[in-house]
Amino acid sequence: MSARGRRSDTVQFAPAEHAEEQPVELAVIARQAGVRVSLVRHYASFGLFEPCSGTSDAPLFEPRCAGRLAKAERLRRDLGLNYAGAVLVCELLDRIRELEDRTDRDLEPRA
Amino acid sequence: MALDYKDYYEVLGVARDASKDDTRRAYRKLAREYHPDLNQDSDAEERFKEVGEAYEVLSDPSKRDRYDRLGAQWRARQQASGAANFEDFFDQGFGPDVRVEFGDGAAFSEFFERLFGEGAVASARTGRLRGLDREAVLELSLEDAVAGGRRRLSLEDGRSLEVNIPAGVREGQRIRLAGQGGAGRDGGPPGDQYLQVRGDDLDVELAVAPWEAALGATVSVPTLTGTARVRVPAGSSSGRRLRLRGRGLAKQRGGHGDLHVIVRIMVPEHLSEQDRELFEKLADVSEFDPRQGQG
Repeated sequence: MSARGRRSDTVQFAPAEHAEEQPVELAVIARQAGVRVSLVRHYASFGLFEPCSGTSDAPLFEPRCAGRLAKAERLRRDLGLNYAGAVLVCELLDRIRELEDRTDRDLEPRA
Repeated sequence: MALDYKDYYEVLGVARDASKDDTRRAYRKLAREYHPDLNQDSDAEERFKEVGEAYEVLSDPSKRDRYDRLGAQWRARQQASGAANFEDFFDQGFGPDVRVEFGDGAAFSEFFERLFGEGAVASARTGRLRGLDREAVLELSLEDAVAGGRRRLSLEDGRSLEVNIPAGVREGQRIRLAGQGGAGRDGGPPGDQYLQVRGDDLDVELAVAPWEAALGATVSVPTLTGTARVRVPAGSSSGRRLRLRGRGLAKQRGGHGDLHVIVRIMVPEHLSEQDRELFEKLADVSEFDPRQGQG
């Protein structure tokens, strides 16, 4: 592996943020995911995520939607999937993770 | 780091005369196997990059031609002079003739960048994209979860992060470390690092003697802030939950949750003669049947 482009081994940063953050607008999701607003709308129309609050004219989304959107787009580009396929894979991955978390919790010894 | 020759045909597992379709098919298969969104192995991302780089070269006729010419000359040089140093070969002979400058930055291997110029990947890809969000588990003691504080943790990719743990985090919650995930593509923003909190359970088990459970007793229980005295009501069976209001974890919006004390009846492993006599007497006179109604 090339050593180029690797980040420093130690990273120190400002106070951690909670995942439970304020809902954000579509444009913020687009900026954080590194895509165009129209692409966010397109994925939303396939049900990748839904507004958590706001109005139909100005919907608001959970900040974590940006990561979900970027994941779908990576899968679409890298694996040659269409939009519906990328959304389906994301949903199945969520389901797998949920089941794995549940299994892990069940297997953990309890005091 | 020494520059090594990369055999892109070997990486994709295709023959040197493989068609474009064969190459694409091999790439798709390996991409599905090693895509970091699908494969959590620590080396999956590196393998995926390697596969992507190989496909980038072999799927583009001009890059493939340039790469094939390099490979042919390298092999000829090796056969003529034995185990030659590839970096010397590249710098002194073949390299400067084929290098093409495309622009700024690329995340591919040094071999690729030396051959095609930094930025060749950026020109081939379809735009910037945020990097991978990563997940890790943060194991916390109950005290850490309550009070918060700083904690250093090591991630799978070898990085070490110093994390500020907010007071009052709970089991199952996720802490987002913005911009600490995978690197973005082609100038895209980095992903986030999520830490899933796993802490001690807020249930505390309380061992009691059979007579304490039957007659009731006041016993000591360890809590987050010291020891509390708890009244075990008479007639408590194992599993009974006693709530200590306000002695649990700190809540996000102020105040504290509750601590649940769960009664567990213990019996002596070895009975003294006197204990045995008393238990036998109890067994003779008691009409209590714990299995009554169970059929």
